[in-house]
Amino acid sequence: MLPVSYYLIVAAIVFCIGVYGVMTLRSGIMIMMCIELMLNAANINLIAFASHFSQVNGHVFVLFSIALAAAEAAIGFAILMSIFRSKNNVNIDNINILRW
Amino acid sequence: MVDYVLSLILFIPLIGAALTLLFTKSRESARMVAFVSSAISFVLTIMIYLQFEPGIAFLGFQFEEKIGWISSMGINYQLGVDGVSMPLILLNAILCPLTIVYAWGESKLPNQFFALILVLQAGVFGVFMSLDFFLFYIFWELTLIPLYFLISIWGGPNKDYAAIKFFIYTHVASLVMVLGIFALYFSTGVNTFEIPVLLEAFSDIVSAEMRVGIFLALFFGFLVKMPTVPFHTWLPDAHVEAPTAGSVLLAGVLLKMGGYGLFRVLLPMMDSLGPYRSSIITLMAVLAVVSILYATFLALAQKDLKKMVAYSSVAHMGYVMLGAAAFNYMSVSGAMFQQFSHGLITAVLFMSVGVIQHSVHTRIIPDLGGLADRMPKLAFLMMCGFMASLGLPAMSGFIAEFMVLTGSYLTLPVYALLAMVGIVATAGYHLWAMQRAMFGSYNEKLGEPHDLANFEMIPMAILVLLIILFGVYPGSVMEMFEHASKIIPGVMI
Amino acid sequence: MAVDNIVYLIPALPVLAFVLTLAFGKKLPSGGGYIPILAIAISCIISVMAFLQIYNTGIPIEVSAHWFSVLNVGILIDPLASVMLMMVTFVSLLIHIYAIGYMAHDPGKPRYFAETALFTAAMLGVVLADNILQFFIAWELVGLCSYLLIGFWFRKPTAAAAAKKAFLTTRVGDVLFLAGIVILYSSMRDVFLERFPAGIPDGTYLLQFSTIFDNISHIDPTNLTIITLLFFGGAVGKSGQFPLHVWLPDAMEGPTTVSALIHAATMVTAGVYLVARTFPMFIASPAVELAGITIPATLTVVAYIGGFTALFASTMGLVMNDIKRVLAFSTISQLGYMMLALGMGSVIGVAAVGFAMFHLINHAFFKACLFLCAGSVIHSTGTNDLREMGGLMSKMKITGITMLFSSLALAGIGIPFLKIIGTPIGTSGFVSKDAIILEGSYVFANVTHDWIPFAFGVLAALLTAIYTFRLWFMAFTGKPRQERHPHESPATMTGVLSILAVFALVFGMLTFIPFNIFVGHTYDHHEIEELAGLAGNHVIGHDEILDIAHHASPIITLLPVIVGVGGLLLAWVIYNRRWISVASIGNMRNPLFKILAKRYYQHEIFIELISLKFTYGVLALAGEFSDRKIVDGIIDGISSFIIGGAEVLKKIQTGVVQNYATATVLGVGLIALILSLRWVI
Repeated sequence: MLPVSYYLIVAAIVFCIGVYGVMTLRSGIMIMMCIELMLNAANINLIAFASHFSQVNGHVFVLFSIALAAAEAAIGFAILMSIFRSKNNVNIDNINILRW
Repeated sequence: MVDYVLSLILFIPLIGAALTLLFTKSRESARMVAFVSSAISFVLTIMIYLQFEPGIAFLGFQFEEKIGWISSMGINYQLGVDGVSMPLILLNAILCPLTIVYAWGESKLPNQFFALILVLQAGVFGVFMSLDFFLFYIFWELTLIPLYFLISIWGGPNKDYAAIKFFIYTHVASLVMVLGIFALYFSTGVNTFEIPVLLEAFSDIVSAEMRVGIFLALFFGFLVKMPTVPFHTWLPDAHVEAPTAGSVLLAGVLLKMGGYGLFRVLLPMMDSLGPYRSSIITLMAVLAVVSILYATFLALAQKDLKKMVAYSSVAHMGYVMLGAAAFNYMSVSGAMFQQFSHGLITAVLFMSVGVIQHSVHTRIIPDLGGLADRMPKLAFLMMCGFMASLGLPAMSGFIAEFMVLTGSYLTLPVYALLAMVGIVATAGYHLWAMQRAMFGSYNEKLGEPHDLANFEMIPMAILVLLIILFGVYPGSVMEMFEHASKIIPGVMI
Repeated sequence: MAVDNIVYLIPALPVLAFVLTLAFGKKLPSGGGYIPILAIAISCIISVMAFLQIYNTGIPIEVSAHWFSVLNVGILIDPLASVMLMMVTFVSLLIHIYAIGYMAHDPGKPRYFAETALFTAAMLGVVLADNILQFFIAWELVGLCSYLLIGFWFRKPTAAAAAKKAFLTTRVGDVLFLAGIVILYSSMRDVFLERFPAGIPDGTYLLQFSTIFDNISHIDPTNLTIITLLFFGGAVGKSGQFPLHVWLPDAMEGPTTVSALIHAATMVTAGVYLVARTFPMFIASPAVELAGITIPATLTVVAYIGGFTALFASTMGLVMNDIKRVLAFSTISQLGYMMLALGMGSVIGVAAVGFAMFHLINHAFFKACLFLCAGSVIHSTGTNDLREMGGLMSKMKITGITMLFSSLALAGIGIPFLKIIGTPIGTSGFVSKDAIILEGSYVFANVTHDWIPFAFGVLAALLTAIYTFRLWFMAFTGKPRQERHPHESPATMTGVLSILAVFALVFGMLTFIPFNIFVGHTYDHHEIEELAGLAGNHVIGHDEILDIAHHASPIITLLPVIVGVGGLLLAWVIYNRRWISVASIGNMRNPLFKILAKRYYQHEIFIELISLKFTYGVLALAGEFSDRKIVDGIIDGISSFIIGGAEVLKKIQTGVVQNYATATVLGVGLIALILSLRWVI
């Protein structure tokens, strides 16, 4: 049985990779995937604590979270699709129309 | 008499508004529905007015109704009337149908126009009837919305500036006021928003600073609404841009909410202000006298007739403040009567200006001239309105001013005498405007104006008759005000 | 039928006539002018009935009812009100009848008759008021009607301006009057609260004349003097006394009948009536010291202002060329005499009221006659300018003769020394003016050794005679200076003129003694003496007055007549015989003439300087500036500060997702850092 801190370290690394990706990448699809990474880092944490405390709450949360991630991915990709249709690429540098 | 007559009076205009907005197809049916619903309200108001007993007055409410609403906070749907509010409700009930008749010819979006007027009427009714601070605040804010749209849709060339200025100004004021209300609620700890209970509990607040703070917060809210110099500049702008019906209701009833708050909420608190009482009174008196004199001289400087009338409103509301500051029953009842009377008078003035604007397409005084020649009916009614506004005896304005000045002299002699200085200048700007706009030879550049149409003349004539009636015999209105003001705690009899 | 029950009809009928004429006048013959005539005729009859009842019983008629709050409405007809009432209704009736002819060709007749009916009603309201507030209300309505009537021909810019000037100038006085009422209420309240500490009993009306008069001695003397001075301020405005007389000459812009109404029956006499009405308060007002300044006793002020006005106005009357303007200045001057008479009250007591009222009534007759004659002249010659008239006597006999009679009355021509049963023989103006000068100001001078009022009176009498006959000689004698062919006016007009001329001649002689006795009953002599004592004055009795007047040296007794006849002769020499060239004195190079013709530059001072330059140019425009630039400037400044701040801050919204993500991470990091720091500490 590994101590819980190991899981947390892995999750933190995965999360940081996700954050780094969101902050630096240009492609909308890559950003979406990085967001997924961050979500999954959270999921790892939840599962780790769930097994550590032998409780089922964490598992339930993770299921919600996965469902949420799926929904989010569906909407996110749909948005990206429509952006692609109008701009012919998904480079988010081009989609700053919401600035001041 | 039905148990929920106040609710009926309050909601019939709202129902009328919904009907006008949603179900009427033409201008004719829209204005008819609007008129009928406000007329029903008027009839009901007359009924309760006749049943009202002036003897049982301030803080002893009649026709009370109370339904639990948000019980955890002690918020109720609670209505009632007393001597302070009854005549003002009557004023609102009189002015709204007349305004609707006056606006009979409105052709731009008539459904929306009449619906907004009805919402405004309901909001003002609500303010005057609410016995629950929370409800009071809701209605207080409700009045802003229709007027904002009346200005921003039907307004003049600079309507956006005026509408936003009006909205932000009064809204900021009501936010300060609502802070005061919550401070009052939490620091008394009575767990109810009932106005009479809170007012009674006010004196139990231990810290005098807290009491003054609450007082000043509420005071600021009412001050802007009245409005008092230096928080008055939204009013001329709003008036200049607003359509005539909007101006009539703005000056006729909306400003009265400020004064009403003063009498309903602040004067009963006055006696509990302890060491700060005298400085508060001085503050009020200074603001009042500055309002009267400053606005009077400003009115003298105006070239726009409507702006002049707007400044005259500021000056007249100064008398309300002066009467309240003097804090004896004569001045306070005079101030209350001034509110009532000014509502009638200013309506005639704005209607006159509206007719001029409508028929010769300008209201810049130097551009007018000799209108009496072509518009004798207007000249007659406008003369009556102007005379009433400058405080001519036998018209209601004089009764109010006399009571205020005589009463104020008893407690604030210097301020009362200072306020009198304004009387000559008041006559001055009225007559000067009359001379330049109505008399002299007719300015042919103005084209061929039509005289008053019937739907314009009838409301103005009714108002003039009422002004003379209340000027000759103030009767039961004055009696209600007097009873109401005699029971204010600490007031000098 | 008791008169008490119908006295309310006296003002009510003209009000009704006002409403009816306004509503139906257009459809009736003569613009409905017969309605007010009928109404005022009935009012006149009721007034006479009321007079008879008072005369027979000696008890004043009092009717009072609760109005609202602490105020009442009521009617008080005592001898003072009674004589005034008859004069107002009678003269007003005659003027209305005359106006049927005079206004025959004016399209605005219904409006004219409605407004004059209201004017009369308002004046009757002043006369009948039993409390000072009601007095003020009617007083203001008089002002309103004068505004409407002076501006009757509103299409004429000068008429509109004159109407405004009249209203505003009298309004200055009215505000003082109102301030007086306000202070009076407060003082009376103090008096009653002292007596009834628990509260003033219901049914006590503090502003009722009877209540006031009963409590004068309790009112603080300083307050009393201030109140009466403020009241007098109101009277100065209404009665055209210096310095608020400026509106009266301009008020000639209205129809001549209106001028007659204003100058004779209604309006200007209200000020004199106010002082007479509140005479007990005036006589009890002492000289007081307030904030280191000595304020003279009110009656002294009244006497000096009155006397000065009498002289001052007559100097301007000398050089006016507009026939109505001359008469306007003469009105101001004669009102000055009435005030002068009232001012003598501190020595001669209630007799002062009698003299003033007697002159008021006589003046009403001869001034109404003069104005209506002037109207007749204007009606037929079509001009107001005396220089264009001349030789009218041959064309307009009745007008000329009636005007001569009333001019004699105005100049105060009579026979001195000759008295039949104590009544002097002469025109009514002679009888009343002689009484004011000799039994008033001479007695005053004799007792107090203050000869100034006497000097004012005599000098003004001289000038009065000169300008009166200047007018008459210029208009009616000499060569015609006009192409038009003047004609005599219709019978409704000349009939009225004749009646008034007869009154102007004989009324004074017929009623002098009974009038003064009757009016003297208005106030109790002992009370007046006591009240005068409050002001430190000793009032001498009736017999003593006569005694002093009779023992005056013959020069003094003759003086009023000498100056009257002298003035007449001087006018004859200059304007009829033309032995002295008018042009040599009356040109603009003569500085004295210039200052008179310019009316002491009052227009420049009051209109240009005070109203336009100061009130409008300085106060109003400064206010406008501060409102636009300062008050609104602050508001707009706050909003533009907020908008400007938003302009800067909105740059953060780059629209680039990465920037937002970076900001979030940095923010979370910052929070984590702060939390961990707290842990550490």
